[in-house]
Amino acid sequence: MRWRHKDLLDLDNLSAQEIELVLQSALSMKEVLFRPIKKLPTLRGKSIALMFYENSTRTRTSFETAGKILGADVTNFSVAQSSVNKGESLLDTAKTLQAMNIDLVIIRHACSGASEFLAKQLKAGVINGGDGQHAHPTQALLDFFTMKDRWGEFKGKKVLIVGDILHSRVARSNALGLKKLGAEVVLIGPPTLLPPEMGYLGVRTSFDLDSELPGADAVMALRLQMERQQSGLFPSLREYNRLYGLTRERIARTGKDTIVLHPGPLNRGVEISSDLADSVQSVIEEQVTNGVAVRMALIYLLIGGTSNVMA
Amino acid sequence: MLWLKNVHLVDPGQGISDKASLLIKDGKVAKLCRGEKQLTEEEVLMTLGVSELKDVKQVDGEGKFLFPGLVDAHVHFREPGQEDKEDINSGSRAAVRGGFTSVLAMANTQPVIDTRALVEFVRLQGERAGLARVYPVAAVTKGFQGRELTEMVDLQKGGAVAFSDDGLGIQSAETMRLALEYAKLTGCPLISHCEDTSLAGQGVMRKGEASARLGLKGIPASAESVMVARDALLAGETGGKIHIAHVSTKESVWVIRAAKKLGIDISAEVNPHHLLLTDEDVQLTNSSYKVNPPLPSREDQEVLLEGLLDGTLDMLATDHAPHTWEEKMRPFAEAPFGINGLETALAALWQELVLKDKIKPEKLIELWSLNPAKRFALQGGTLKAGSPADMVLFDPEWQERVTAESLESKAQNTPFLEKELQGFPIMVWVGGKLVMKNRKIVEKQ
Repeated sequence: MRWRHKDLLDLDNLSAQEIELVLQSALSMKEVLFRPIKKLPTLRGKSIALMFYENSTRTRTSFETAGKILGADVTNFSVAQSSVNKGESLLDTAKTLQAMNIDLVIIRHACSGASEFLAKQLKAGVINGGDGQHAHPTQALLDFFTMKDRWGEFKGKKVLIVGDILHSRVARSNALGLKKLGAEVVLIGPPTLLPPEMGYLGVRTSFDLDSELPGADAVMALRLQMERQQSGLFPSLREYNRLYGLTRERIARTGKDTIVLHPGPLNRGVEISSDLADSVQSVIEEQVTNGVAVRMALIYLLIGGTSNVMA
Repeated sequence: MLWLKNVHLVDPGQGISDKASLLIKDGKVAKLCRGEKQLTEEEVLMTLGVSELKDVKQVDGEGKFLFPGLVDAHVHFREPGQEDKEDINSGSRAAVRGGFTSVLAMANTQPVIDTRALVEFVRLQGERAGLARVYPVAAVTKGFQGRELTEMVDLQKGGAVAFSDDGLGIQSAETMRLALEYAKLTGCPLISHCEDTSLAGQGVMRKGEASARLGLKGIPASAESVMVARDALLAGETGGKIHIAHVSTKESVWVIRAAKKLGIDISAEVNPHHLLLTDEDVQLTNSSYKVNPPLPSREDQEVLLEGLLDGTLDMLATDHAPHTWEEKMRPFAEAPFGINGLETALAALWQELVLKDKIKPEKLIELWSLNPAKRFALQGGTLKAGSPADMVLFDPEWQERVTAESLESKAQNTPFLEKELQGFPIMVWVGGKLVMKNRKIVEKQ
């Protein structure tokens, strides 16, 4: 199978086979990560620009590392955190990048659709590093990689995604992709953070974590933004934690060798207890390692071979 | 002097939808002759008071409709202050090109239209443009602050025909109640932009599955309808006169229907884009679909059309809201709300509703000419003898591609850009003066 996309903006247009292709490629990339000399000449002479309009350490570093291991030149563009009335417009930034002949742009932006906007303007490939509440495809793909690593396949597996579903691009991309891969997904959170319109994803939703735990093969906690409490979306961390906080005791009730995921950064003691986060069931650190491998694979697929040359 | 022959006149004010000939003299309709009967040359010469036919301009409208000039109760002409988006001249050009001979210009300019001097400025700029009749709408509260009322009596003397803080909802119910009381001194309706900001929050499109899918913050339908209910009740309690701008939800329609049954003096408008597009059409990279109130659900849309057809909703209005290309080229969440409407609205409705038999031409003209003229006590809205000759010769077969170059408006933020539409005005007269011919503005000599 050949990779036929110029960009990676979301998982909507990716088939199950294409997702598997990414995971397959990531497997060989992961092997490179454990070599004593972590450097390949593959992308020598290719340029990658990182444009992070939202704060992020791990995702940015992960992309940067991935690009550098593959031998590409990676540039961090310092951009204003908010583009409204501040600094250059996204359109002008796109024109600047075009003029510099950049091969690949990786963008994170608080506005949904920002990466698609850039992709339409640029001849270069674009990877969405997270846009608003819309999509975070590379996070989802690294989550899939981590799951597949444990399970071998997705059919018949039950995955719970717990927390602030409404505001989460991670939940959206994960649910979309896992559905394609054949897993059962249940979205779980309080009604204020899991409104009826999330039904668009076509997966089951529930307000009751405890009743969904039995049989779960993976449980993913989402980061809770503390400012949601001030907006009245949940009354207190105390009550949130009691209803939706992941603990060792809760995970034990799945009756399975369940894995626990978290996209990070963690609010220990809020959405996940410290002992669970550091337990053998937690794959949170593996997620970070796998993130580099998956991003290497994506960068390679987009600008690596000749197979993806766009007309 | 004008002799219009063989047109199909649609004039709901006289209950006419028939073949007709009209004579125009001194800016007014001098004679109307309906049916197959033709005016004789003698009748023409006598009525117009001339001795020779060569002094009479003749237009043969075979195969064309003649409408009383459309009256748009809701436009934003951005002057003074935001002339990069639009000004009264460019807005007036867009209006007549779209078939609108009268418009109500909203007050959310910079500064807002809250003093008589500003009202007169808007009126004067309209006269200078010399195209459509531009009627100023003045603010309800000083500076749109939602607190102190404006000098409504003085504003009316300056030319204001209605009052509105459109662009913003009046959040304080007590302010709205007092405004409804005080506006009785003028007899003018208050136009309410119904939007509860605590419910609308930072939303950028209608809350629903489409907003969830796109990851855009949603505006619940209740952000509009709770305020429609509030204002209907306040109008009932005070006996004031209220007009609800841009109704976009089914709940609002239900409330207005109930209010009318109770005898409350309430009227309401619907924007064409709410009848033609839904939240499912919103594209992340095309902010021409970003409008406030936001594009409705399919279900809302059906109820809106129903409401227009059964008389619950009184009129169509474009909410013409031009913005610069630069502003609209921002990411969806950061782009301003608004759709540029005047030059595409009639054609788009003709193509999607009239040609698909969802609405009759007679009803369309009642909603877009007669009813708004009546509600805001404006001249026009009909072509009976003695009325001002504000007229639109409409070619139902005319097809045109909407392009940035073709638009008279300064702005291009329309979802119909680069689309082909059918049914356009080909000649427009205001007060008997020809202002648009063959889709081009008749430039001043």
